[in-house]
Amino acid sequence: MESATLTEYRSAPQPIDVPVDDWASRYGDELERHVTRMLRSVDEARDVVQELWVTALRVPPDWGEGSNIRAWLYRVATRRALDVLSARRRHDGALETRSRELEPERPVRPDAAFRGLSREGADLVRTRVAALPSRQRDAVWLRWIEGVDYETIAQRLDCSQDAARANVYQGLKRLRRELAGLWKEEDLR
Amino acid sequence: MTGTRCTYRDEDVLAWVLGDAAGARGDELTLHLAECRPCRERAEDYCALDRSAGACREGAVIRWRAFETPFGRMRIAASRKGLVRLTWRPLDDDAFVGGLEERYRKAPVVCDCDYLAPVEEQLREYFDARRTRFDIPLDLDGVTDFQRHVLTATAGLGFGEVATYTDIARRIGRPRASRAVGNALGRNPLAIVIPCHRVVRSDGSLGGYTGGPEYKEALLALEGRRDLLDEDEPALGLV
Repeated sequence: MESATLTEYRSAPQPIDVPVDDWASRYGDELERHVTRMLRSVDEARDVVQELWVTALRVPPDWGEGSNIRAWLYRVATRRALDVLSARRRHDGALETRSRELEPERPVRPDAAFRGLSREGADLVRTRVAALPSRQRDAVWLRWIEGVDYETIAQRLDCSQDAARANVYQGLKRLRRELAGLWKEEDLR
Repeated sequence: MTGTRCTYRDEDVLAWVLGDAAGARGDELTLHLAECRPCRERAEDYCALDRSAGACREGAVIRWRAFETPFGRMRIAASRKGLVRLTWRPLDDDAFVGGLEERYRKAPVVCDCDYLAPVEEQLREYFDARRTRFDIPLDLDGVTDFQRHVLTATAGLGFGEVATYTDIARRIGRPRASRAVGNALGRNPLAIVIPCHRVVRSDGSLGGYTGGPEYKEALLALEGRRDLLDEDEPALGLV
């Protein structure tokens, strides 16, 4: 953490002054077009992009030389747009929010209360994780829940990084299949 | 996607959601998600799945860890509350994990990364005779009330201090239950940390030990109680 902060201080002309205005004038239009293509709604796309600037101020990316700020902005905006789509599709996304890049300032839709999963829903998720084959379960848990990197997982599970990654992916693919019904059910609550 | 076929696989989308897809390929996929409906819907699903990870951040989980000790391969397991199991009996890791899965059906049983390292460290220190008491939270939710009373009373015995089964029975207010005390200690899920090896018979003999009597002797020897041992049969020779 400390070194990241130092990098930011070195690379930024003024540490506190995140050049959001500059980014907005350079990339704002194309980002809005990108998000509009996903959401088919200019207004919602504008909201997503507005929110992106707020996020950038709160959790500034590293904009030092060599960093691709445009890619970062696209990624975060896309991620958020997917959340909007998901909330729309699932009615009132009755799921706990969890995002690596940003913490939502507010629910993606004002009327979409991002409750946690119901108690039964949370139990179901845990039960399905518990029922994964043990290698997949270990790998999924370490990567997905605890955010451990693949190198460490490989050491811990005494396997290659590729194998660790493959176990994470196989496990999550399986969970996606097994839990597909859950989100719909949660929406009906 | 219209016209050309989409070349992205399920894994690519998943990698993107997990933040594993760095660099140009990740950036391409970001743009691609605006174009390709199947990929976008997959990404939505994985984002929803990703958000449900919160269910596991809070709820029950059993972490386990194994490491080598003078007693052989030792295996420990803990809930979020505290240690639930410690054993070195000669079963393999899979059998140990299987036993935990059976006992905790709703809690994922996962291999530990760092969480239990301090427990391992304390046990190593104990075996190196550099530690005389453990500072480890214990979770005794899985045992009966009677067993919990017995285990708690036993946990009060200090390093090298011994008591008889009858002493423990008295301490829990059931003076005639020394046999039941012996049974409860025989099912101690947390050997060493709850020092059932410090409970001996009233006639001066050591009494049984689920892990094997030689281990009871070795532990007492480690704690400086060779006076309790039969001189002719040397213990495992830890010290």
